[in-house]
Amino acid sequence: MLNLTPVPIKIVDCYDDGENTRHYQFAIQETEQHLSPWLKAESGQFFMLCLPGVGEAPFTFTTLPNAQGDFRALVRRMGSVTDALFQCGVGDIIGARGPFGRGWPMERLLNQRILIVGGGCGIAPLASVINQLIDSQQFIQLEVVYAARNQAALMLNPERARWQHLIPIFNVVEDMAGLSDGEFYPGTATGILPKVLHTFGEQPDTVLLAGPEAMQTAAAEYLVAYGIDPKSIFLSIERRMHCAVGLCGHCYLNEKYVCSHGPTFSWAELLQYDIAC
Amino acid sequence: MHKTYLLDSLDELRRHLAQSHEIYQVVPQSDGARADFHWQQVGGGNWPDLVEQKPLQSPKSFFFAEQEPLYVFDGETFEEVLPTPMPFVLFGVKSCDLMAIHYQDIFFEEDPYYQARRKQGLLVGVDCVTPCEQGFCQLVNAGPSVRDDTADLVLHPLDGQRWMLVVLSAAGEQALHGLALEEASPEDLHQRWENISHCEQSFPRYPYILEGIDKLNQHAISDEFWQQLGIQCLGCSGCTTLCPTCSCFATRPIESASSQQTSVTQVRFWDSCLYESFQREASFHNPASEAGQRVKRFWYHKFSDDFVPEFGRYGCVGCGRCEATCPGVIGVHSVMKRIADDA
Repeated sequence: MLNLTPVPIKIVDCYDDGENTRHYQFAIQETEQHLSPWLKAESGQFFMLCLPGVGEAPFTFTTLPNAQGDFRALVRRMGSVTDALFQCGVGDIIGARGPFGRGWPMERLLNQRILIVGGGCGIAPLASVINQLIDSQQFIQLEVVYAARNQAALMLNPERARWQHLIPIFNVVEDMAGLSDGEFYPGTATGILPKVLHTFGEQPDTVLLAGPEAMQTAAAEYLVAYGIDPKSIFLSIERRMHCAVGLCGHCYLNEKYVCSHGPTFSWAELLQYDIAC
Repeated sequence: MHKTYLLDSLDELRRHLAQSHEIYQVVPQSDGARADFHWQQVGGGNWPDLVEQKPLQSPKSFFFAEQEPLYVFDGETFEEVLPTPMPFVLFGVKSCDLMAIHYQDIFFEEDPYYQARRKQGLLVGVDCVTPCEQGFCQLVNAGPSVRDDTADLVLHPLDGQRWMLVVLSAAGEQALHGLALEEASPEDLHQRWENISHCEQSFPRYPYILEGIDKLNQHAISDEFWQQLGIQCLGCSGCTTLCPTCSCFATRPIESASSQQTSVTQVRFWDSCLYESFQREASFHNPASEAGQRVKRFWYHKFSDDFVPEFGRYGCVGCGRCEATCPGVIGVHSVMKRIADDA
């Protein structure tokens, strides 16, 4: 039987990281028994953050829960739940439910050529998979494109600075004001794909995309035209959610629910579901 | 072969069931303001007759509550709040509504709130022997006879005052324990199927419904058609509220304060995919921003082959309530007729 009741989590730490965006560290305040499902969390899965008296909203893990129940998430201030979270302080107790959904296809990434493209806060669901790949070193080639609107909107700055030393990172910004040409590329995620794909000896085996849906679909269409199989391109789809377990209906995508069948889908699946942007 | 019995009246059965269950039955609206029927608890020795008319509201809310608490937060911990209903009987559920409960049983199989209510409910169905207004259960395999896996007991009106009682489940058999009943004869069984066959043949044909389903599944309906329907749809949620298989919900918190502490109860309540805000995200990105998209979604959910692998059937059970309630004339008959004619 499903359990729709949150566990208490404590806000352990947070710091601003991008415009109206904070990177939070949470700690699950529960027994070992309650902790066990969280220890099985996978990159690309999500959890529901519960602000008592305000509501619930889905977020992805930037760092998966560890044995102590600590995990991290990037939160952009956007609606009532995130407004309330930003009013909270370190030490406050809120709630969380999860983990939910289908994560990235990790088995497909082993010893492969991998391209990862994140747009805006879409970098959040990609952060843990990038860290996992870098830490394990089990890839042939790994390159990351990160696209943002402008300097203020750049997110996960410390993480990207670390990755920069270890793998090729293409930071693309539409409005380059205040940024130098050497470190950043002007343009969009899709616009830079020809340049990035040129750096791959052979075309990527698997591509992971996350960010605004229009960006993801434009990138997927370009990659298919380039010759990459739609089954090898994976997207992370965002929808409004209330239950996160395939019952409330809000996150429908044809006969599927993003919360339980996704949030990661192959482009081949999404073409079948007739995704509307 | 199911056990079948004869009843001279329904009272003895209801009296027996009432020893261990609350009994609910469809009764006429008490104020007499309009011809309407609704589910109500009955008992106290005053047993109303079973009415032939279909109630405006299906028994959906007995299992999937219109609003219910999920959990309470007391400032430190979250506590699940499961419903604890008394054992109850829904007495005289029509075959279409029973099929809808069966559909919801599959959908909410893992939902603890639905299942806490469902395990307390005994379903006594009733075969329909005359077609109801706007009903087309026979076209979508939901009636007029009660399907075997959808009820615990079935009532069938024989000649005069006599009823046949068919036992369909172990729970149904258990509920009859201690009640001495005369077994039905082969002639009585034959009479049941004669009556049902006659009822099936009495239904209007409604060829446009089958044609509409066919066109919908061939994706032969233009976007312009759905947009036109979207303009007509008021987004009032009448159809989704009355539809016995609609199950979408939203959640919200309700604060309550006592002298000791303030607590927050998270509740869920019925929602509708026809509302503009149904898929709207905090960023105001809305994948279903056009009314036409939302109306299309509703009808696909009821008749698309895409949902059949999960539920073994279409989402529509042919009750026709959407037609009866829609102020915009876009219930199932109106829509299917238009699809068949000109979509």
